Amino acid sequence: MALLSKASRSAVADPLLKNNPIGVQVLGICSALAVTIRVDQAVIMTAAVVFVLSMSNSIISLIRSFIPNRTRIIIQLSIIAGLVTFIDEILQAYMYDMSKQLTVFVGLIITNCIVMGRADAFAMQNSLGKSFLDGMGNGLGYGGILIVVSFFRELLGSGTLYGYQVVPQWAYENGYENLGLMVLSPGAFIVLGLIVWLQLQVAKPEDH
Amino acid sequence: MRSNTYVLLFTALVTVILGFLLSVTYSQLKELQEENVAVDMRKNILRSLDIREEEGEIWTNETVQYLYETFIRTTILDSDGRDVSDVTIEMVDAEVDTTYFPLFTKVVNGDIEGYAIPVIGRGLWSTLYGYLALEPDGITVKGIQFYKHKETPGLGGEVEKDWFTGNFIGKRVTDEEGQLVSIQVLRGKVDPGSSEAYHQVDGISGATVTSKGVTNFLMDDLKKYEPFFQKIRKDTAEEIVWRY
Repeated sequence: MALLSKASRSAVADPLLKNNPIGVQVLGICSALAVTIRVDQAVIMTAAVVFVLSMSNSIISLIRSFIPNRTRIIIQLSIIAGLVTFIDEILQAYMYDMSKQLTVFVGLIITNCIVMGRADAFAMQNSLGKSFLDGMGNGLGYGGILIVVSFFRELLGSGTLYGYQVVPQWAYENGYENLGLMVLSPGAFIVLGLIVWLQLQVAKPEDH
Repeated sequence: MRSNTYVLLFTALVTVILGFLLSVTYSQLKELQEENVAVDMRKNILRSLDIREEEGEIWTNETVQYLYETFIRTTILDSDGRDVSDVTIEMVDAEVDTTYFPLFTKVVNGDIEGYAIPVIGRGLWSTLYGYLALEPDGITVKGIQFYKHKETPGLGGEVEKDWFTGNFIGKRVTDEEGQLVSIQVLRGKVDPGSSEAYHQVDGISGATVTSKGVTNFLMDDLKKYEPFFQKIRKDTAEEIVWRY
């Protein structure tokens, strides 16, 4: 089956580790700092980005031969903006509290360089199936980092995971304190920096 | 190279299709979204009046509805603080109305336990919407909640956090003579030794404009209800103990 060929597999697998959009290409940092205070936020954000990326890649790949070169960026951007607005509306209708917590950052997926980048660099040249997988891979690669960062930030910053208390009460009674820095943006920078370093050690991309 | 006509038509077509799909989505979800907003407003009225979720408890829309109907009485006041019974809450838009003012009273087993009023005003980027609740004495703050704003998360956005709203509880909106002084959001921390500390709360660092905005519109909104609260204070005056 074509979808499971080596090339397709690497379309999904590469962005997860070897060519991760955040860890290696250092794209999409803004939202990665903002929505990683709690794991549940990161998970919803991941779902939203995976949806937008795979759909925008698919749609653009599907109509790529009709897209006039001169207005291709406008067309890509309107498709992406349409999908993001759709997701935002869905969240407001079915997950109101989450949509309030994510505030503007759902809308800002539009400006996430990963989405635009994959649309123009990949979906414009590749088949529907491959573009879909590439979108999904990049979305998951981005989301994976988000979830890892939020795991450390929520655990160290609030003592909870996915909203559940994991640091036991007796630890607090014996002088343990949550690391307030982790809740703030600098905490995200530090965790993200460590992850980028670790990733470069493990993945060893050729041009670094 | 494609012709200009093709480029224009294709781009227009994509835009029209997307616009159509989005408007369908919006009209389908509108009802649900509006219900969410209404429930959220009620939840915040309840919270400002100190009816809140236990740790880890999540209220469903039905729970909010039930609690609201059980404990909250809605009245509409005119500019003299009189109850106008022929105006309903649906007819009043607290943001713009200057003749009628909604009042949410918490009643438990027939006893009044507090009053909540809508507080609305400009911050830095956006209009903030919230509820300020006073104790039955009409002087002491029972709670404050903000439910809608577009301030910077982490800076002005902190207005909705418990550390900020919690500082309002127990503060007083009038001075010793009974003049309205409202609540002042400071730049920096409150000096507990200051003679003004009774109506001051800690500011949000990095959000001076939002803090100032809150100070201003709390005063403006409390003024609107002053005729009503003056009457309340007269009725309960002997119960108030002044402490410094």
